[in-house]
Amino acid sequence: MAYQFDFGQVVSGEYGQWLLSGLSTTLHISGIAIVLSLGLGTMVAVMRLSKVRPLVWAAAIFTEFFRNTPLLVQIFFWYFGSYSVLPEAVNQWLYARDFEFACGVIALTVYTAAFIAEEIRSGIFSIPKNQLEASRACGLSFIQAMAYVILPQAFRVIIPPLISQFLNLIKNSSLVMTIGVMDLTYMARQIEAHTFHGFEAFTVSTMMYLTISLIVSLGVNLYNRYVLHVRSR
Amino acid sequence: MRIAARIIVLACLLTLVAAMPALAGKLDDIKSRGTLVAGVKDSQRPFGFVDEKTNQIVGFEIDLMAALAQRLGVKLDTKPVTSSTRIPMLTQGAVDILAATMTHKKEREDQVDFSITYFMTGQKLLVKKDGGIKSVADLDGKKVGSVKGSTSEQNVKKAQPGCTVISFETYPEAFLALKQGKVQAMTTDESILVGIKNSDDKPEAWDIVGDYISPEPYGLGVPENDSKFRDYVNLALMDMWAKGEYQKIYEKWFGKDTKDYIPLTWKMEYWP
Repeated sequence: MAYQFDFGQVVSGEYGQWLLSGLSTTLHISGIAIVLSLGLGTMVAVMRLSKVRPLVWAAAIFTEFFRNTPLLVQIFFWYFGSYSVLPEAVNQWLYARDFEFACGVIALTVYTAAFIAEEIRSGIFSIPKNQLEASRACGLSFIQAMAYVILPQAFRVIIPPLISQFLNLIKNSSLVMTIGVMDLTYMARQIEAHTFHGFEAFTVSTMMYLTISLIVSLGVNLYNRYVLHVRSR
Repeated sequence: MRIAARIIVLACLLTLVAAMPALAGKLDDIKSRGTLVAGVKDSQRPFGFVDEKTNQIVGFEIDLMAALAQRLGVKLDTKPVTSSTRIPMLTQGAVDILAATMTHKKEREDQVDFSITYFMTGQKLLVKKDGGIKSVADLDGKKVGSVKGSTSEQNVKKAQPGCTVISFETYPEAFLALKQGKVQAMTTDESILVGIKNSDDKPEAWDIVGDYISPEPYGLGVPENDSKFRDYVNLALMDMWAKGEYQKIYEKWFGKDTKDYIPLTWKMEYWP
C-alpha cells in the first residue's frame, strides 16, 4: 500500500487559507527584519571602522557574538530569557501584545545584521583608503564621508553577498515557529497534523519559499544592473 | 547474447517486484514473521516512554501492544515514532500498527484505518491556581499555549474565538510559557496535562479546569483496506476489555496509586 497523494485538499478550502495566512506572516516578518537588519548592519559596520575605541569594541563583540551562536538559541533567548531581566510590569505589558512576533523580528534582525555588518565592512575595505582621506580633506565629517562617498560605492560591490543574506533570512524565518509565530512552515506542520498529508503541505510551502526567494534575488539583481551600474557609467 | 541476458535479469527482477506486495495481508505477514512491529511514542509519559533504569520503552500503550502480540502468538517489537513520522512508517510498512496517542479524526482517514477507541480523553485547560480562569469562557482576549501537531489548537479557537493560541514545539516549553505568564493557560488532552502538572516541583500550584473542550478518542492506526487485520485488532481490544485485562493495564498506568491518576469513566465500544 503506497502513500496517496492529494494536493487538492491541501491547496483549497480551509487548509489553503492556512497556507496563505502563513505565507503572509512569513513575508511580513522577513520584510521587516530585512529592512531593520540592513540598517543595523550598516550602523555596526560603520561603528567598527570609526576611530572611537569603545564603539569599535562594542561593534566587534556584537558581530562575533551573534554571528557565532545558533539562531534557534537566540530566538529562545529573546523569548524565554527576557523574563527575569525586565520588571514584571513591563513583562505583562509586553505579553499582552504580539510578543512572539516581536521576538522573532528581533532575533532575525540581530542575527542577520551581524553577517551584513561583515559584508559591508569588506565592501568598504574594497574602496581605496585615500577616498576617505580625500573626502575628509574636503571638509566632510567621518559620517558624511561614509554616507556620500564610501557606502554608495561599497553597497554596489556587496549586492550579490547581500542577496544571499536576505535569502538566508527568509529561510531562517521558518525557525520563529518554535515560539509560536504562525508562519508558512508552521502552517504546513499544522496541516500535516490535521490531515496526515504532510508531503503535499511541505511541497506547497517549499514552492512558496522558492518563489519568494527567486523574486527577491531577481528584484535585487535587476536593481543592481539597471539602477546602480547604469548610473555609474 | 548480452542483451538477452539483461532481458532475463530484468524479467526476473520485475517478477520479484510484482510478487512483493504480498496479497496475504498483515495478519498472515505478522504470523509468518513471528513478530508484531508496533510504532509507539518514546517520550510521552505514561503512554510510551523510555524507562531510565532498563533503557526499555515502557508504558500503557506498550502493555496494550504486548497483550495484542500475546493473542497473536508472536513476539512484540517496538519502534519509536513521532507525530510526523508515524503515518509514513505505517503506510510504507515499517510498522504493522501504531499505538501512538493518535486521535481518531475523520480527516485522517484517507491515509490509514483506525481501530475502535482504546483510550478516551478530552481537551482541558491547565491554569495557575487562583489565576482567575475557571473555564474556556474566561479566556476571552487571553493567550493560550498548546503544542504543534496536536488537534488542540483549532478546538480551543472554535470554543473561544476571542483567544490567541500560541503553539510550542514541546510540552515543557508550553508549560514554561505558562509559568512565565506569557500565556494564561495551556491546553491539550487531559491525560497529558495530568502528567505535566505532576512533573512540576509544586503540582498544587496548578489546576486542570473546565469541561472537555473536545473529545479525543485515541485509535490504533492500522494499514488501510485490510479489514481482516483491523477486525482482529478490534476484537482483541474488546476481548481485553471483557476479560478485565484492559482495566488491569489501565490501573497500572492511570490508577489511584499512580502519579497520573485519571479515573476510568468511559466504556469501550462493544459489539454484541
